[in-house]
Amino acid sequence: MGKRKPSSARYKYPLPIHPIELPPLIPHNPISWVYWTYCYFSSVNGLTNKIHVEFFNDKYVHIVVKDDSQMNYLWENGFFGTGQLSRSEPTWKNRTHNRLADSDGHGNALEKVTQHRRLLRLEFKKQREKMEQELLELRRKGGTIEQEKELLEQQRKSLRVYKSQQSSAEVLPHEETIRDIDLLLFTDDGKIRQLESLELMPVEAMFLTFALPVLDITAKDLTRRLVGIPEKYEDIHQFISQYVVYHHYRSHGWCARSGVKFGCDYLLYQRGPPLEHAEFCVRILNSNDIKDYNWYSSLARVVAGANKTYVLCYVESLRSPETILRWWHQGNYKSIFSSYKVGEITYKRWIPGKNRE
Amino acid sequence: MEKDEEQDIRLDTAPDSDLEDDELIQDWSQAAQLSIRSSTLPKRGEKDYEPDGTNVQELLLYRARKAMFDTLSNSARGSVVKNLVKAYYDPHEHKALVLRPKGNFLHTLGKMHRDGTVWLEFHEFVYLAERGSITPFYKMDGIDWINQELPLTIEDLYMLFKSQEELDTFFVFEHLKRLGFIVMPTNNSLDSFFEPKVGKNSGQALSNTWNLLPEWRKTIHNTIFYSPWKFWLNRYTSNPQIYQSLNQLIPSYRAPRTEEELRRTRFGSMTKKPSAFPISLNVWKPRTDFKKKSPGIPDFQVVIYNKNDPNQHFPTYHELQEIFQYLDYKFEFLSEIDDKWDWDDHSYHDGKLRSQTVANVKSKNAGVAADSKKSQKVKPKRKPKPKSPRVQQKIRLKNGFRSFLLAVMDDGMISFIKISETDFGSENVWYVPQLTTKKPTL
Repeated sequence: MGKRKPSSARYKYPLPIHPIELPPLIPHNPISWVYWTYCYFSSVNGLTNKIHVEFFNDKYVHIVVKDDSQMNYLWENGFFGTGQLSRSEPTWKNRTHNRLADSDGHGNALEKVTQHRRLLRLEFKKQREKMEQELLELRRKGGTIEQEKELLEQQRKSLRVYKSQQSSAEVLPHEETIRDIDLLLFTDDGKIRQLESLELMPVEAMFLTFALPVLDITAKDLTRRLVGIPEKYEDIHQFISQYVVYHHYRSHGWCARSGVKFGCDYLLYQRGPPLEHAEFCVRILNSNDIKDYNWYSSLARVVAGANKTYVLCYVESLRSPETILRWWHQGNYKSIFSSYKVGEITYKRWIPGKNRE
Repeated sequence: MEKDEEQDIRLDTAPDSDLEDDELIQDWSQAAQLSIRSSTLPKRGEKDYEPDGTNVQELLLYRARKAMFDTLSNSARGSVVKNLVKAYYDPHEHKALVLRPKGNFLHTLGKMHRDGTVWLEFHEFVYLAERGSITPFYKMDGIDWINQELPLTIEDLYMLFKSQEELDTFFVFEHLKRLGFIVMPTNNSLDSFFEPKVGKNSGQALSNTWNLLPEWRKTIHNTIFYSPWKFWLNRYTSNPQIYQSLNQLIPSYRAPRTEEELRRTRFGSMTKKPSAFPISLNVWKPRTDFKKKSPGIPDFQVVIYNKNDPNQHFPTYHELQEIFQYLDYKFEFLSEIDDKWDWDDHSYHDGKLRSQTVANVKSKNAGVAADSKKSQKVKPKRKPKPKSPRVQQKIRLKNGFRSFLLAVMDDGMISFIKISETDFGSENVWYVPQLTTKKPTL
């Protein structure tokens, strides 16, 4: 568990369905042809053991995967789902293990890195506050502007030094010891209980049943759990447009994850969250939607502040709501999803002074 | 201390920090040095977060204010009578007439007549009057308006605007103009990227029938792929194969990205009624060799949207598409990928290719020397560093293709938004591991 594969090996496959592996085909060696043909027909892309999902709640359904290895499989092959006790990858058990069992964990779980960085920042701010106090002291004593400038220069320099020292010195967060309450986490044979499960977004679950047969349910069962038996088109419209957009990006190679932390619908990663920052924020709109200008501008501001590109993804319905609803009852999802067309624009603030050249 | 903080913020929000340079407040201590009583005044001082009980901030403020007043009260103001340019507003034409035109503004504003007079568009007239470059008068019927002058005030001028739209257009015009851009209205522009009236709609019809064929293929493909037996009927030996099967499902709008595609999409749309979002202004980046008679195609085009007008709304997708189809500017995505691209070879003036009409004038006026100088200047700027396909793809996705500026008016506040068409449906970004093994991919 402590050993981590390099990410290129760990995240080798972008989807939970893998291509079949074929032996090399040597043109002048007929035996290799036979072997190749045998391999071709004997292997299958589909999973032998489909991933088991459970549902919780009735009104707002939670779709969860509980098995350890299956949770990992979904995360490592396309970054599906979110650990309920973690930021995204289900790392709770590992982290707890590192905390309680052995202290030689290098603290390289993402959560730990962030915690460490925040601590450093806090220290830095304290230092800065101290210096501000010094300045005030000088002012109270009636120092001249020149004196003040000198002090400021001095402080700036020392802060810079402090910062560089901070980044070079690895101050590990202090170790915690086992508390009484932690004992509840152990099973009888001294192992840590898995309390965490992986929760899938409805669109992710749909993708993993309808587009790629990975979960052990059918698309029809899934939609029944999600929306019941819809009476009106409005009941299913939102889910359809969310899925259409999700499938659109997934199928062109993007790793789409929830963008709720940036006020949008999806974040697009070229490969996946551990490997790079998301560069696009996607917001879904109907092609005839009209929003108040503030709706666009506030979102643009948030997205630009996070250094991402703001994409408005418009979904246009090509069929009548009645047809869609009929198809839904028939379970004809393929026809439903292909009767929506998507179009995208990017929205950027434009600053005259920066475009004068 | 402040700077450190500022740098931190800048690192976090790189694109937003663009703004800061623009919104810097004028530093009067600089100007004060030019005035008569030039003494050494301090630069703008450090700014504190909150009051700290001392009077340091007040002192700094006082000094800065004093610098401003000293400068203002000591500088010579007024204009020279000899340089006064009079412009007469003609209520019938809704334009203004300048009988004896002179001044720098003539480079980019006004329309010269054969008799040496200049007609100013109304927004040009107001702009110049506000700047003090001209003095406005009213050209009234039935009186000798040249000798019996009726001067206009700035307030009068604002009353002469005919509609809110005109006023909004004026505000955007004026704003960009003050920032140094060259701005002209889009009507009666003679320059175009598009060749006038050569294609007919037959091309469009043909492409429609062509498009039906892949539709059928897709349907059959999807029926197989989304059936439970797909992995028995088909075997996938690489990730791209799986992705290619997946991405047949959702149709998407394709953005025209080549010269030919742009011309084709243009002709399909031109028969429609005028758009609800007219493109009002053409904008050029500041440049010295601008010729208002033959300006070439603009760098940007502006659509104006008044946020507070209940009759207007933010464009919907189809309205945006319509605007895209009407755009006619330097489509920067064409010239960016081609180092040898020259807009004169790809745009038309009055129906003729610019490189044929304008080149002659250029060589007569400026001579060859200026041309070669220019090309020398441009070269070191654009480094011919070929970008990797990966990077080029990112640029395509981020910058998009056709784009326009939406000027959002909010009670005199103008914010600009660049809206571009982008096309994720035509780009595949799946990860292809760079293996050196020679696996057969079929």
